[in-house]
Amino acid sequence: MKALLALSRAIDTLNDRIGRAVYWLVLVAVLISAGNAIVRKAFDMSSNAYLEIQWYLFSAVFLLCAGYTLLKNEHIRIDVIAGRFSRRTQTWIDVLGTIFFLLPLVALILYESVPWFLRTWQSQEVSPSAGGLILWPAKILLPIGFSLLGLQGLSELIKRIAFLQGLIPDPGEKQVAKTAEEELAEEILRARGDKA
Amino acid sequence: MTAFLIANMAPLMFAALVVFLLLGYPVAFALAANGIVFGLLGIELGLLSPALFGALPERIWGVMSNDTLLAVPFFTFMGLILERSGMAEDLLETIGQLFGAVRGGLAYAVVFVGALLAATTGVVAASVISMGLISLPIMLRYGYDRRFAAGTIAASGTLAQIIPPSLVLIIMADQLGRSVGDMYAGAFIPGIILAGLYASYTLLVSFVKPTWVPALPPEARTMREPDGTTGNRSLLVLFVLSTVVAIAVWHLYYNPYKPEAGTDVRLVVCVSAGTAVAFLAAVVNKLTGMGLLSRLAERVVFVLIPPLALIFLVLGTIFLGVATPTEGGAMGALGALVMAVGRRRLNWKLLRQSMDTTAKLTTFVVFILIGARVFSLTFYGVEGHKWVEHLLSALPGGQMGFLIVVNILVFVLAFFLDFFELAFIIIPLLAPVADKLGIDLIWFGVLLAVNMQTSFMHPPFGFALFYLRSVAPAKEYTDKVTGKRMAPVTTGQIYWGAVPYVVIQLIMVSLVIAFPQMVMVYKDDAPINDPSKVEIQIPSNYTPRDPVAPGKDGAVPGPAADPLEQAIQDQENADKAGDALQDDFKQN
Repeated sequence: MKALLALSRAIDTLNDRIGRAVYWLVLVAVLISAGNAIVRKAFDMSSNAYLEIQWYLFSAVFLLCAGYTLLKNEHIRIDVIAGRFSRRTQTWIDVLGTIFFLLPLVALILYESVPWFLRTWQSQEVSPSAGGLILWPAKILLPIGFSLLGLQGLSELIKRIAFLQGLIPDPGEKQVAKTAEEELAEEILRARGDKA
Repeated sequence: MTAFLIANMAPLMFAALVVFLLLGYPVAFALAANGIVFGLLGIELGLLSPALFGALPERIWGVMSNDTLLAVPFFTFMGLILERSGMAEDLLETIGQLFGAVRGGLAYAVVFVGALLAATTGVVAASVISMGLISLPIMLRYGYDRRFAAGTIAASGTLAQIIPPSLVLIIMADQLGRSVGDMYAGAFIPGIILAGLYASYTLLVSFVKPTWVPALPPEARTMREPDGTTGNRSLLVLFVLSTVVAIAVWHLYYNPYKPEAGTDVRLVVCVSAGTAVAFLAAVVNKLTGMGLLSRLAERVVFVLIPPLALIFLVLGTIFLGVATPTEGGAMGALGALVMAVGRRRLNWKLLRQSMDTTAKLTTFVVFILIGARVFSLTFYGVEGHKWVEHLLSALPGGQMGFLIVVNILVFVLAFFLDFFELAFIIIPLLAPVADKLGIDLIWFGVLLAVNMQTSFMHPPFGFALFYLRSVAPAKEYTDKVTGKRMAPVTTGQIYWGAVPYVVIQLIMVSLVIAFPQMVMVYKDDAPINDPSKVEIQIPSNYTPRDPVAPGKDGAVPGPAADPLEQAIQDQENADKAGDALQDDFKQN
C-alpha cells in the first residue's frame, strides 16, 4: 500500500503541475480571440489559423485539465440523495464509480482514439479550411487528456481505499483552501472595513 | 427476458440513468458509463452494430471544434475578473443612495443593480455575495422585512441566468442547434420584463405592507451638496437631457435615414448616444470644476459608465452584428482586465485564481457534454429519442399541452438538478419533439431558461440561497452605524423570502407562453455577418448547423445497406436536435 500511495502522490503532483500550467492557456485564448476580433474589424484581415488556434487552446484546456479537475474534486455530482450518505458510503461509491464508470470510459476512449490520432499523424492531414492548421496536435490531446484522467482516477482509487483502511485522512474533502466565493466575500469585507 | 430487454431498452436505459446519477458519482462519468453499459448490452443483443463506439473520437472532436462553447470560458473569466474589480460595490452604494429615500428604494436598487450586473458578469454567486454583503446589512439596519430583503437579493442575483450574456443561453443555443446571437436577442426583452416584475413586486409590497420596506431616514443619505440639498434635481436634468438625445437619435436619424434598422440595433446606438452625452457632461464638470452638476449626479454617471461600457462592448457589438458571441466574450474579458488594472484591483493571485476557476468550470461543463454524447450515441441507437417523442407527442392539447407538461417537468426537476444537468440531459430529448410540434426553438429555449432560473431559488438546494446564507449574518451582531444589537437572518427567512419570487418566475413563464412576441423580436434584426441567420429565419427548415467542418459528425459515411448500419448513421445524425427531425423526414 505504501508504494501505491507514493504512486498516487506522484500522479497528484503531475496533474497539479499540468493543471497549473495549462490554465494560462485561458488567458492566451482570450488575448488571441480579442486581438483577432480587433484586427479583423480594424484592418479587415483575418486568417482561419487564428480561429482554429482558439479552439485548439480551448480543447487543450478542458482535456489536459480533466485529471486536474478530478484531483480538485470539481466534476459536479448530484448530491441530493448521496449527500445524506455517510462519508464511508460516499467513499465506497467513489471506489466503485471509479472502477465501473470512470476507468472503463477512459479505456474505451483510449482504445478508439489512439488509432484515430495515428491515422491523422501518418497522413499529416491539414484542416480543410483555407489557411487551416495541421490536425494531429489537436487530435493527440484526446488520448493525452484521457490518459491523465485515467491516471488521476487510479490515484483517487488508491487514496479512497487507503482511507477506507484508515491509513490516510479523508481525500474527498475539497482541497482548495478557499473557494473563489469566499475570497470575494473577504475582499468586499476588507474594502468596507477600510472605509468604515 | 431477452425479448423484454430488446423491446424496452430505451426506458430501461433512462431508468438506469436516474439511478446512476443519484449515486452521487460525477455526472459526466455516470452519463458516459450508462451509454457504455447499454451500448455493450445492445451489441450483445444484436440491436447495435459492434462498430458503435468507433464513432466516439469523432463525437468528442465535434465538441472540441465547437466555436459556440468557446464562449463559455471567455464569459466565465470575464465574470470572475469583474466580480473582484469593485464595480458591484460602487454600484450598490451609489444606487442605494439614489433610490434609498423612496419607500422600497433599497429593493429597487438591488433589482436595478442585479440587472446591470447580470448584463455584464452573468455570475449568480458574485451578484448574490456582493448584494448580501453590501445591501443586506443596510436593509436590515433601516428595518426592512428580513424575508423580503433576502428574497429580493437572491432573486435579483439569478437575473444573471436569463439576461444575456449568460452561460445558460450559450449552452441552450448549442443544445438546440441555434445561434447564440439569436438566443441573446430573444432573451433580452423577457429578461428586462422579469426585472420589471421584481420591481413591481416591491411596489406592491410598498403599498400593501409599507412597514416591510421603509424609506431611508434623511441622515442615512450621506451623499449631499455643500448646501445640504440632495442634488436630485441636477441628476434629473441630466437624465432628461440624455433621454432627449437618445430619442432624438431614434427619430431624427433612424426614422428618416435608416428605417430598416432593427429595434435592438437602434436601442444600442440610441442608449450609447445618450450615455455619451451624460458622460461628457460629467467629465467637463469634473475637469472645469464648474459645479454644473451635483455631486450625486456626477457620482451616478461615473459608476454607471463602466458597466454600460462593458455592456456595449459585449452585447452591443453582438447585437450590432459587429462581433460573434465568442468574440464578444473575449472582448468583454479583455475589457474586464483593463478595468481591473485601472482600479488597481488586478494582481497575480487574482489572475491565477480566475484562470484556475475558469479552467475547472470549463472542464466540468464540457465533460458533462462529452458524457451526454456517449450516452446519446447509445440512446439514439436504441431509438430512445423516438420513445421520448412518442411519450410526449401523445399528450393532449398539442403545442400548449406539450409546453405545460414540459414546464411542469422542468420546474420539478429543477428542485434536484442544476442547470447544466438539465440542459445537457433533458433539452436534447425535448427539442426534437418541440420542433415537430412547430414550436420555435429560440422561444422554447428562453421559456425553459426562465423556468430553470427557479433551480437557483428552490429551497433547500438553490445556489442563490446557499450563497446568500454564506454571507448573511448567522449570529446576533452589532450594527456598525447605529450600535444596536441585531438579530441574525435565519435560514427559514431566506427560504420563505424566495417563495414569492419563485411564484413571479412562474408568472413570467406563463407570460412568455402567452406572448411569444417578446422573444420573436429576434427575427426582425438579423446581424449582417452571421450566415446562419438566413437559415434560421425560415422555421422548420433544417440545414446542418455547422457546414464548415465536414465529417464532424459523420463517422460512418456512405449509404448503409444493413439496418444496423442505418441505425448508427441515424444516431450520428440524430445527435443534434434539428438533425433528428431530418432523419424522421427521411424515414417517413
